Amino acid sequence: MEQPENIIQVQDLRKSYGDLKAVDGISFGVSVGEVFGILGPNGAGKTTTVEILEGMRVPDSGIAVVNGIDVRKDPRAVKKIIGIQLQSSAFFDRLSLVEILDVMASLYHRQIDALVLLRDVELDDRADSLFKELSGGQKQRFSVASTLVNDPILLFLDEPTTGLDPQARRHMWELVQRFKSEGRTVLLTTHYMEEAEELCDRVAIMDHGKIVAMDRPAALVDSLLSRGFQKERTENLANLEDVFLDLTGRALRDE
Amino acid sequence: MLERLFQTNPTISLTRASMKIWFRDRQAIFWTFFLPLVLISVFGLLDFGAFRTVDLGIIDRADNDASRKLIGDVRALDTFDISDDLSEEEEREELLDGERDLVLIIEPGFGEAQSPVQRQVTVIYNQGRAQESAAGQTIIQHVLDEITFAEGNISERYSIEPIPVDSRNLKFIDFLMPGVVAMAIMQMGLFSVAFSFVQLKSRGVLRRLQATPILPASFIFAQVFTRLSVSILQTLVLVSLAVVAFDVHLEGNLGIMLLLALLGGGVFVSMGFAVSGWARTEDVAAPVANAIALPMMFLSGVFFPRDAMPEPLRAVADFLPLSYLADALRNVAVDGASLWSQWENVLGLMVWLAVTFFIAIRLFRWE
Repeated sequence: MEQPENIIQVQDLRKSYGDLKAVDGISFGVSVGEVFGILGPNGAGKTTTVEILEGMRVPDSGIAVVNGIDVRKDPRAVKKIIGIQLQSSAFFDRLSLVEILDVMASLYHRQIDALVLLRDVELDDRADSLFKELSGGQKQRFSVASTLVNDPILLFLDEPTTGLDPQARRHMWELVQRFKSEGRTVLLTTHYMEEAEELCDRVAIMDHGKIVAMDRPAALVDSLLSRGFQKERTENLANLEDVFLDLTGRALRDE
Repeated sequence: MLERLFQTNPTISLTRASMKIWFRDRQAIFWTFFLPLVLISVFGLLDFGAFRTVDLGIIDRADNDASRKLIGDVRALDTFDISDDLSEEEEREELLDGERDLVLIIEPGFGEAQSPVQRQVTVIYNQGRAQESAAGQTIIQHVLDEITFAEGNISERYSIEPIPVDSRNLKFIDFLMPGVVAMAIMQMGLFSVAFSFVQLKSRGVLRRLQATPILPASFIFAQVFTRLSVSILQTLVLVSLAVVAFDVHLEGNLGIMLLLALLGGGVFVSMGFAVSGWARTEDVAAPVANAIALPMMFLSGVFFPRDAMPEPLRAVADFLPLSYLADALRNVAVDGASLWSQWENVLGLMVWLAVTFFIAIRLFRWE
């Protein structure tokens, strides 16, 4: 089978809600195995862009191709090969974590070992719990586990660390790095710049529905510096987060 | 192979999941099974302790020595609750209303000659009260036999000509049970769909499902299948309990009742979908579902016959879906009506199904 060069290819994508141009003619590509970040303030159009790529929203115009499949023509075919973590996920009440994962897998005609997935996100000891009994960080981790039931080649993570404590955030970062090492492509959105710097091979910065910059994080920083930007800085070799982690440890907490 | 299909077919696994979810919901179980059981039980207990005598009406057209002796002998037995001061027409009316178990008619010339006709009494009996009327006939025959023996002429035995009639033998619980079943189906269909669906929607579960390649039809099938199964189970449980524990007379075919439960369940489930399509949150769904259910509970003849209502109100009440369901279930349970004879009620339910289904589709939204 011919492997497309870019697993995601977007060309002049547009989507308006009334007068608001949520996505205003953006184009970009993501290559296989890359961790690609979309950054931007609230309302910049990140989520709408991601949702179009996931086949959850129909664009007004433009082309969105995922793994060679036109998302507008066959959103179901796209959904089969991707994993989607929504900003706020919820699952069935009254089903245990294992039961939920089994059902989710069946939606892809698959059978999985739910415990293995739970172990990957350190939730195997909560296998028989209900989703609503989990803490915030656990919910987020479970939500990530649920996106893996179909062994996706491409993962969409929408603000995966929003609302997490530093330990849970670090753990999520490790997960993303593991996905990358497994050869999966990851597209994530975030508000946290240090997260983008830590995780992303390339980032696109969006504002008012347009991509205003796109490159490797280091290259973006270099180009800013080359324009003569100077930050008032004292040479801090550590920051407050380092202090926090030093004092409280890196192990995951179950609030 | 089959097990694998069971595990990996989205529709089957969603249906299993939705069954699990339903039966783990204690509140739903309470409303669906427990509350109707309590209602039936309370009224069943109220009816309790009515050890029945056999109600006998007597029409003495002969009014001769023989007939007076027969009546005297029957009366002496103390088995019957006897009425003999009504006209024949009135007695037949009473019989049809279930107020009598048997009516004994003694023809003119009774016992005056040896001809078979003059040695025969007519007993019209209430078919619905099989035990009472059979016992009554046996006793009357016994009395007649004693007269025969006393006369010493055994060749011409006094005999009974039995004529069965269909009466309405309504105890209140007989009337109430099918109504409560209909009401329970309505509550289950309407509330369980409206609430759970609005909840799935407002909490974002539907959105999470939308992120998978699931077909909406699979999901809706699972939901509907679960509720319709419950409506059948409900009918089975409630009717069985009423028959076993409270001696409710089930004249009709339980299978027909289950079919009606299925159809009624369909109407109320799609009504539930319509409400959940329209309402965004549980706070809206609850009053809307109540506003639909409560008036029907009281207008549809669940607890008392609609005949008691003022005419203009009745004209409206007759067309309510719960009225059709309760009437059909009741006619089958109480009168042993056939499905075919209930075509008007079935048609009424089908029209409601079509209307609510159409509204549900128009109002339905995933988000």
